[in-house]
Amino acid sequence: MKLKIVKMFCGLPRYVVVIIFAVVSLTPLIWVWSSALKTHMEIFINPFAPPSKFYIDNLVKAWNLGRFSKYTLNSVIITVPTVAGVILLSSLAGYAFGKLRFYGRDILFYVSLFGLTLPFQAVMIPLYYLMLDIGIISTYRAVILPAIGFGLPFGTFMMRAFFKSIPGEVMDAARVDGCTDLQIFLKIMLPLALPAISTLAVLQSLWTWNELLIPLLFLQRQELHPLTLGLMFFKGRYTQDYGLIFAGATIMSLPIVGLYLLLHRHFIKGITAGTIK
Amino acid sequence: MTRSRHWRNNLIGYSFIFFPFLVYATFVLYPVFGTLQLSFTNWDGFERVRHFVGMANYVRMWKDPFFLKSLYHNLIWILIGTSLPIAIGLPLAVILWSGVKGFQAFRTIYFMPLVLSSVVVGIIWGWIYNPVFGIANEFLRMIGLSSLVRAWLGDTSTALPALIIAAAWQYYGFCVIIFLAGLQNVDISLIDAAKIDGASSLQRFFYVIVPQMRNVLTMIILYTLIGGFKVFDLVFVTTQGGPAGATELLATYLFKQAFQLNYVGYAAAMAIFLAFLVIAVSVLFIRLRERVA
Repeated sequence: MKLKIVKMFCGLPRYVVVIIFAVVSLTPLIWVWSSALKTHMEIFINPFAPPSKFYIDNLVKAWNLGRFSKYTLNSVIITVPTVAGVILLSSLAGYAFGKLRFYGRDILFYVSLFGLTLPFQAVMIPLYYLMLDIGIISTYRAVILPAIGFGLPFGTFMMRAFFKSIPGEVMDAARVDGCTDLQIFLKIMLPLALPAISTLAVLQSLWTWNELLIPLLFLQRQELHPLTLGLMFFKGRYTQDYGLIFAGATIMSLPIVGLYLLLHRHFIKGITAGTIK
Repeated sequence: MTRSRHWRNNLIGYSFIFFPFLVYATFVLYPVFGTLQLSFTNWDGFERVRHFVGMANYVRMWKDPFFLKSLYHNLIWILIGTSLPIAIGLPLAVILWSGVKGFQAFRTIYFMPLVLSSVVVGIIWGWIYNPVFGIANEFLRMIGLSSLVRAWLGDTSTALPALIIAAAWQYYGFCVIIFLAGLQNVDISLIDAAKIDGASSLQRFFYVIVPQMRNVLTMIILYTLIGGFKVFDLVFVTTQGGPAGATELLATYLFKQAFQLNYVGYAAAMAIFLAFLVIAVSVLFIRLRERVA
């Protein structure tokens, strides 16, 4: 018993440190969420107290008058095809680079890695004038296509690493059984790759959901804005109405944090693999 | 026989990469050349002809005090924005790794700010730094340092460090995760040996653990370096480079030059310079990663 208490005490400073940082990471967000449930007066009089009662007017007002319903829908309209496109094209390229043999494969793979850290600034100027010239500026396509293009290097990199780890015997066996190359890919490789695909889907959804610069440049009509832009301009318009701004921030962050808590292993695994493997 | 099989293999390979490569080439590779081309002109975005000006834009950068100031701000961002998250993240990762109950939960919590959009981070920190109601000032008043109370984001001397702290808050959990992954390769027998030899926990940290983490540490530094050159979102949604250019960075400055002042050619040259910096660091990064793997 005595030993246990001594042990607990020795471990205490460690726990103090890890708990302090957990509080640092967590409180600002919880505080924004709880402030969204306060009246305007309450936010200023009792900034740090929890909401006295659940006041949902801010959320309702932001959702309807602030057009957050529209922004959320737009974010979904942009995110779903982008993620689908990245998964489809990265699986194709990752499989080719990881499992097939063809002339120039390694050079082409290095060329696709070039986009891994390329800043969007390096392409945004010609892309902007291209979109303007071909007349698709301020359409969802103008955001989705470049977003897929910029998602491909990471996706290809990740899918290639995964397909490489599948033993070649699996393919040989399928070939003996009379599968064509396309069948091997669709019926054997893709189902095997589902864990990698879901990790990629989670990460790409996060990136697209939070993307600011691409829609800022290519979507100049307000009714097409995703949540990032909607919230940014909303914040500029209602600078004094913190209740409304916090409600907007809540609408934007709640789904992604919920998704994260549900799938945190995928997030962490994907980020780790993308950085050090 | 073999020749026709080669031919067949090539055909299959190319048909798999055709569509991915088409999209990648159209929206990533081809526009890079477009930017490079524009960087040698003084195009304003409207004129039909684009006058070739040679290296003039690249020369102009080094005489432009605003460009130099932005570059300087990026360097400060890199310096503080790299050292702060690492100084917090590494010890924190080692503590978690050495056995803390609820390890998973802590890891999940530290990483959480990383999933937030920079707009949300901007709102959170804008409120923390609020001159009248923010906690930053509230806290200073509480501990009796009212003289330090100020508009953190509105003051030219504090705006940049204030934003870097906001970025570090979002980013340090990422460092914890990567360090935890690196710690899995640390040789525990060496730590036990050092313990037997009477090394204190601090000595074990600096002389046994850190040297073994050298590669992961270098990788994180390079990764943050790349991020430090690219920063755009958080600054754009909070101070927009202000007050009085105190938080202007390469990415925000070139955005303004390109789309608000229409110095398209000049902005293109800065974009190429930025890409060059980032790619140079990335090549180092990839080399190192190959050595580690």
